[in-house]
Amino acid sequence: MMFDLSRLMMNPWKMNAGLLDAFYPPKDISTNGHLIDFLFYYTTAMNIFFFTLVCLGLFGFSYLYHHKRHPKPYYTHGNKKKQILITTLIGLAVFFGIDATITSISNQDLVNTFWKFPTEEEKPVKVEVLAQQWMWTFRHPGEDGEFNTADDILVNHDLHLPVNRKIEFRITSKDVIHSFYLPNTRLKVDAIPGRVTRMWVELTEPGVYDIACAEMCGTHHYLMKGRLIVHSEEDYLAWKAEASRIAKYENDTDNPEFYWGWKWGNN
Amino acid sequence: MTYVHAKHDAPTTFWSKYIVSYDHKVIAKQFLWYGIFFLGVGGLMALLIRWTLAFPGQPFPVIGHMLFPHTDGVVPPDTYAMLFSLHGTIMIFYAITPILIGAFGNYCIPLMIGARDMAFPLLNMLSFHFAALSGLILLASLFLPLGGAAAGWTSYPTLSTLIGSPGLGQTFWCLAIFVLGISSTMGAINYITTIISFRAPGMGYFDMPLTIWGLWLTAILNAIFIPVLGAGVLLLLFDRLFGTTFFLAGAAATSGTGDPILFQHVFWIFGHPEVYILILPAWGIVSDLLSFFARKPAFGYKATALSMTAVTVLSTLVYGHHMFTTQMSPLLTQTFMTLTMTISIPSAVFFANWLGTIWRGSIRFDSPMLFALGVVFVFGLGGLTGLYLGTVTTDLYLHDTYFVVGHFHYTMAASVLLGGFAATYFWFPKMFGRMMNETWAKVHFWLTMIGLNGVFFGMMVVGWGGMHRRLYNPFVYEFMEKLIPMNTFITWSAILMGIGQLPFVYNFIHSMFYGEKASENPWQVGTLEWTLPSPPIHYNFEEIPVVKCGPHEFGNPNLNNGRDFQYQTEELVKGPQA
Ligand SMILES: [Cu+2]
Ligand SMILES: [Cu+2]
Repeated sequence: MMFDLSRLMMNPWKMNAGLLDAFYPPKDISTNGHLIDFLFYYTTAMNIFFFTLVCLGLFGFSYLYHHKRHPKPYYTHGNKKKQILITTLIGLAVFFGIDATITSISNQDLVNTFWKFPTEEEKPVKVEVLAQQWMWTFRHPGEDGEFNTADDILVNHDLHLPVNRKIEFRITSKDVIHSFYLPNTRLKVDAIPGRVTRMWVELTEPGVYDIACAEMCGTHHYLMKGRLIVHSEEDYLAWKAEASRIAKYENDTDNPEFYWGWKWGNN
Repeated sequence: MTYVHAKHDAPTTFWSKYIVSYDHKVIAKQFLWYGIFFLGVGGLMALLIRWTLAFPGQPFPVIGHMLFPHTDGVVPPDTYAMLFSLHGTIMIFYAITPILIGAFGNYCIPLMIGARDMAFPLLNMLSFHFAALSGLILLASLFLPLGGAAAGWTSYPTLSTLIGSPGLGQTFWCLAIFVLGISSTMGAINYITTIISFRAPGMGYFDMPLTIWGLWLTAILNAIFIPVLGAGVLLLLFDRLFGTTFFLAGAAATSGTGDPILFQHVFWIFGHPEVYILILPAWGIVSDLLSFFARKPAFGYKATALSMTAVTVLSTLVYGHHMFTTQMSPLLTQTFMTLTMTISIPSAVFFANWLGTIWRGSIRFDSPMLFALGVVFVFGLGGLTGLYLGTVTTDLYLHDTYFVVGHFHYTMAASVLLGGFAATYFWFPKMFGRMMNETWAKVHFWLTMIGLNGVFFGMMVVGWGGMHRRLYNPFVYEFMEKLIPMNTFITWSAILMGIGQLPFVYNFIHSMFYGEKASENPWQVGTLEWTLPSPPIHYNFEEIPVVKCGPHEFGNPNLNNGRDFQYQTEELVKGPQA
C-alpha cells in the first residue's frame, strides 16, 4: 500500500466537522447531565479568570522588567509583612474562589442527585449489566419482575430504555475491569470483577446513542461499543412485550452460564 | 556536623572512569544519556500513537514498513496497546525520572551544597547499574513473541494478570519496574543522607538553593513510596507466576478470590506522590532560575520552601481522586475530594512567589529563563485543569477521557520536560565546560512550546468532547466523528514538537565538542557550583567552602564589588549604617 498523501493533506477546516466542533460535549439526553456541565463551565470561568491574572503577571512583568527597560532590580526578599499578606490572600482567594465552591457544589450534586438512587416507590427500570471482553450484555427482568429467572430478557450490545423513567443499573464484569460510559448522560462507572457497582439516570430524548467502555480492557477495547436505544414510553412497552415473547423460546436456560445475574435485593 | 569525603586519586582507565565510576558527576551524565535515549524512544512511540489517531489505517511514514511488515506499515491494534502502555512507562520511569532526579539530582546536590561527592558513592554507582539493568529488561520485552506489556502504564489487574495478558511481556514489565524501584530507592536514600549530612559548614536548610529543596523532598517521597509500588508489582508477579490470587476476582478467577481494586489502592498510594516526585525538582529549579535571571532574590524564599513541603505532605493524602469511578464509599470519596482541593493553597502561594520574583526584576531572557517561564505558563494550565478531576461529579464524566491525558501531560510532561530543558541549558556549561548555542536554544524553545500546547490543549478539548483514552480507532463511535479534525490538529502539533527536538539534539551534541568555551560562571550566579572551574575538578572542592549568605543575593544596592550578585561564600553586604 502506498502512502496516501491526499488523506494526510486533508484540510481539517474543510471537513463536515471543523476544529471548533470539538469544543462541544455530546448532546445531553439526561435530566442531570446539566449539573455536570454547569460545574464544568463554572470551573472554566474561574480558571480563565485566574489564568488571565497569571498571564498578566507573566507577560506583563516580562515586558515591563526586561533588563533593557528596567536595568535596576528592586532588592527585596519578599518577606515584608505586606508582601506575605498579599501572597496569603492570593492563596485564600484561589481556595475560596474555586476549590471551596466547586467542592461544595459537587458534594451537593452527589448527595442530592447522583447518590440518591431511586426508591422502590418510584418504580425504576432496573437493568443488570455484564461487561466482558469485548461486549456488553444487558439483563432485564421478565414478566415476573425478578432477576436471574428463566424469563429474563438478555440482550447483547443494545440497551433498550424508556424516556422519563428513572433507570438504575447494577454492573459487574466477567473478566477484566471495564467502565460503563454513557457520554450523553455525562456518567460512567467501572465494571469490576467480583463487585457490583451502581449508576442511575433518567433520559429525556428518544433516539440512538453510543455506549462506550472507558477503561482499557485489552486489544479490542476500542470495539467494546454498545447502542443506547431510547424509546418513548409506548415503544418501550411494545419492545419489552416482543422481547419477552422471543425470550421464552430463545433463552438457553439449560446452560448454567445463562444465570450470570443475581437477585436485585435492597441495594 | 558536616561530613567530608577524603580524596582519592582520579581513575584513569576508560572502564573505571566512565562505566564503574563512583563520581557523582559521571553518574549524572550516565543518567542524562540514559534519559535522553529513552526520551527518544518514548517520543517515537508517542508519534506512532498520534499517527494512528489522526490517520487510522494509514501506514506510518518512512519507517512504518520496517516496523510493521505484516500490516503494510500500519500500526496493528495489539501493538498500539503496547505502544501507549510503554510510552507512559518509559516517559515516567525511564526518561523524566533519570533526567530530573538521576542526572540533575546527582549533579547538583554535591556541587550546590559544597560536598565532594554523594554520601554513598558505591550505592550511587549501583543505582545507575540497576537502572541500566531495568532498562535492558524493558527493551528486551519489546522483542518477545507476544510483545511487551500492553495493559496501560497503570497495569491494572485483572487485565495485567494472566486473564488479560498472557505471554511474558507483562512479567518483564513487573520485573523491570521492580528493579528500577531498587535503583530509585538507593538513589533516594543517598540524596537524603547527603543533603542532611554533607552540607558545607554554614549552610542551614534555609540557605540551600530551592533546587536542592525540590530534590530533597522528591527523594523523601521516593524513599517512602517507591517501595509501595515495589510491593504492588511483586504481588502482581506472584499472581502471574505462582498462581496466587491477590488481585483476581469474579467469574474468571478459578480458585479463591482477591480484589483487583486492591492493586489500584496500592498503585495510587504510590502514583499520586509520583506526580510530585517528578514535578518537585522542576519546581525547585524554576524557583531558582527565576531569581537568577531576574537578578533579584527569590520572593518569599521560606514560604516557597515551606509550601513545597506542605504540598509534599498533602500529596500523600489524596490518592483516592484517581479512583472515584470505582465507587468507593461516599465518605472516602468526599474526603479525598476535599483533601485534594487543599493542595491549591500551598500551590497558589509558591505560584504567587514565582510571579513576585520576576516583579520589578531586571529580567534576562537567556534560554534557561525562557524555559523556566515556560514552566510557569504550562504548570498554571496543568494545575488549574486538575480542579475538574479533583471534583467528583465532573470527574465522573472526564475520568478516563483525553481530558485527563491532556491535564497530566501539562503537569508531568510539559512542566517537567521544560524544567529539564531549563536545567540542561543552565548547567550544561558546568557539566561540559562549553556553552550551548543560544539561537538554536530559542528555536527549540518556541517549537516545543507551540507544539506541546497544541498537543496537550487539544487533548483536553477532545476529552471534553467525550473522547476516552486508549482507543485504537476512536472513530468507530458516532459521537466522536466530529473530533477528527481536532485529532488531526493534535497530531500535526505533535509532529511539530517532535521536529522541535532536533535543534536540541544537534545543539547538545555539537556544543559538547565545538561549543564556545564556558567561563567559571557564565550566568553570573552565586551558588556554590559557580565558584568552581567548568567542568569542576575531581572531588569538586579543593577546600570545603564556608557558606555565609543565601543562594539568591542579587541586586543588593550596597554591593560595591563591581558585581550585581554575591557568592554564597561571601558575607552578606549590609547598608553603611547597619
Ligand atoms: Cu471494556
Ligand atoms: Cu493524583
